[in-house]
Amino acid sequence: MTIANLSRRILLQAGAALLASTALPTLAHAQDAPAGGRLIVAADSEPKNLNPAIVASNGVFFIASKVVEPLAEASFDGKDGLSPRLATSWEGSADGKSVTFKLREGVKWHDGKPFTSADVAYSALNIWKPLQNLGRLVFANLEAVDTPDAATAVFRFSKPTPFQLIRNALPVVSSVVPKHLYEGTDIATNPANVKLVGTGPFKFTEYKPGEYYRLTKNADYWNKGEPKLDEVIFRVLPDRAGAGAALEAEEIQLAAFSAVPLTDLARISKIPGIKVISKGYEGLTYQLVVEINHRRKELADLKVRQAIAHAIDKKFVVDTIFLGYAAASTGPVPKNAPEFYDASVPAHDFDVVKANALLDEAGYRKGADGNRFSLKLRPAPYFNETKQFGAYLRQALAAIGIDAQLVNADSAAHQKAVYTDHDFDLAVAPPVFRGDPAISTTILVKSGTPAGVPFSNQGGYANKELDDVISKAAETVDTEARTDLYKQFQKLVATDLPLINVAEWGFITVARDSVLNVSNNPRWAVSNWADTALQS
Amino acid sequence: MRRIQNITKTPEGAIGFGIIAALMLVALFAPIVSPGDPLRIAGSPLLAPFVDPAFPLGTDRLGRDVLAGIIHGTRTSLAVGIAAAIAAIAIGLCVGLAAGFAGGAVDEALMRIVDAFQIVPSFLLALAFVSVIGASVPVVVLAIALGAWADPARLTRAQVLSIRERDYVASARVIGMHPVEIAWKEILPNALPPVLALSAIIVAAAILTEAALSFLGLGDPNIVTWGSMIAEGRNVLRSSPSLSIFPGLALVITVIGVYLLSEGLTKALAGRRSEA
Repeated sequence: MTIANLSRRILLQAGAALLASTALPTLAHAQDAPAGGRLIVAADSEPKNLNPAIVASNGVFFIASKVVEPLAEASFDGKDGLSPRLATSWEGSADGKSVTFKLREGVKWHDGKPFTSADVAYSALNIWKPLQNLGRLVFANLEAVDTPDAATAVFRFSKPTPFQLIRNALPVVSSVVPKHLYEGTDIATNPANVKLVGTGPFKFTEYKPGEYYRLTKNADYWNKGEPKLDEVIFRVLPDRAGAGAALEAEEIQLAAFSAVPLTDLARISKIPGIKVISKGYEGLTYQLVVEINHRRKELADLKVRQAIAHAIDKKFVVDTIFLGYAAASTGPVPKNAPEFYDASVPAHDFDVVKANALLDEAGYRKGADGNRFSLKLRPAPYFNETKQFGAYLRQALAAIGIDAQLVNADSAAHQKAVYTDHDFDLAVAPPVFRGDPAISTTILVKSGTPAGVPFSNQGGYANKELDDVISKAAETVDTEARTDLYKQFQKLVATDLPLINVAEWGFITVARDSVLNVSNNPRWAVSNWADTALQS
Repeated sequence: MRRIQNITKTPEGAIGFGIIAALMLVALFAPIVSPGDPLRIAGSPLLAPFVDPAFPLGTDRLGRDVLAGIIHGTRTSLAVGIAAAIAAIAIGLCVGLAAGFAGGAVDEALMRIVDAFQIVPSFLLALAFVSVIGASVPVVVLAIALGAWADPARLTRAQVLSIRERDYVASARVIGMHPVEIAWKEILPNALPPVLALSAIIVAAAILTEAALSFLGLGDPNIVTWGSMIAEGRNVLRSSPSLSIFPGLALVITVIGVYLLSEGLTKALAGRRSEA
């Protein structure tokens, strides 16, 4: 099947839908949303390994989360911010050394075999802990998984592991894959990493490289009445300008992860039949961060770091670079994580005069050419906004007499230069806050991470006090005490500035009005879409 | 001076010469016409062109002056174009001269190297070179020259092969001139004109290659180039097309100017030959 006749079919279907729609009332709720239809979504990347149990990244989840399910998913109103998926309940022991999951019964894999606690135990011990990018940290002390019966899994840890962390990490780290397909094989090269087999509402049916992924309805899904859609097609549209045009032409019905560029939103939001939604990314907040190489003697001086923080006009960054679709950061934890967020940290307001005074105080006077010293600035190439912020930061630093030389590189070269070779003075990075500071945030500032680990502290920063708080929080089981430690963590980072947090942003979804139940959980784009429906 | 007169005799030569001379002046006096860093944030973002007299061509997404960018971009484009052409022709002349004059195994070996460079598309070569070594002006110049020296090398060799059989070369050999002296004094000056006619084409191609590299984000990010301006404008193509159109026009005018000048140059050289 080629894209050409795929598109033609869609148009025919859209025509039929138009005829039918006049007879039906407008619907809103999942329960009475209409069933059937094919949802076509823009995809901008084709991950080589599509197994979310191994690669816990948004690019993989975007497609794989419809097929392979986690134990629990993030939720706006559920208990602990979670809604049950393969687990129906979870409970941590008081000593932090075990967590008991009750699993959903009567669930079947897409190949017909029953889902049991053995699959959970196998996934946890053989994939999440040893192989997964994030599971490595969360399940570092996982020793064993007991399976007293087919519907119970008890995780046992060698050291106390905070239940709060496990809970917050569940949506991201707990994708369960079938033991019977992986056991005894080479997990990394297993064909099921590409042709996924899961328990989710959609089955992985077809993948045409460079064209599309096709997922079809799992008629045996454990939640009767779901999924609503018959098919989900992820159409590969690597050109960002193409997604907006495809939406207008009704070739696709939904573009997530800001596939439609921010600069196009004002125009496209005025087109009838298209809605622009900024909800549904609360659980995956991106942070705009200036990474600092503390090996440079100038940057090892707190006054210089404070001066740089004062030189950045966060309002300009939010309004001009992000066109308002972002918020200024106060510290390393975003406002979207109210459980941990502490607003009362030291602030560095935009103040060029103060920044210049701080640099003078530090002993770096302006030379004859108006410059104090030169720095090498590497903006991460992943987003337009990180590149633009790099260009802005160069100008902001010029205003305080620091000559920053931009160095551009592709993703691989950038990661090697910053995280392996330490060949930078300042770098612009977009790390992700994933619901708990221990998952991917504390690693940005704690010392002792070996060179070569991407998105970690590779600036040579070491602060005993901060390291102590981080390691104490990692073992503190009591939720309240642990939260307090993370408030302390935020204060220390905002005071000593191992890195500078500038802004935080979520993505934007643009969809046709006919797509129902969009953005109804904090990780919507990477959740299972079982209740998503098409108005017909 | 006489050569310039010869070039401007033809209409295409005159127009081309006029365009390039004007661009040279703009490039030369850029810091006076538009002082300061052209990349600095000068005004509010996305001002439309022809509205604010302070920013005649408007501002881009970050509030940088588009006119200042185009004026300073002239410097980069011309400097990179001319430097790359000089480098390519210098390498090409040396290799062509050596191959044609020495002949035999040296000729064979050098021509196979030329073949190797001609097989690889010159843009891909430049792309690979810059992404491995890193983007800066000298690297970009070298990368472009690397893909452009093969043509002048072949042309020089062909010229040398015919010239070295001429009587005056034979007589120079008979009176005992050193081969290097013969190559340098007798052959090179006579082999040069057709190669120089090629130079304008190389300049034009180099300007386009530089713009394409910058468009792909492989130019030097610390200086303003037309290619990077077009690339940035592309993000807002639907709402502010002028951000891509103005640098695009500048590029078109420059390349047309170089081509017209090259036409004039070729005709002037041909005229000189028929006169002789």
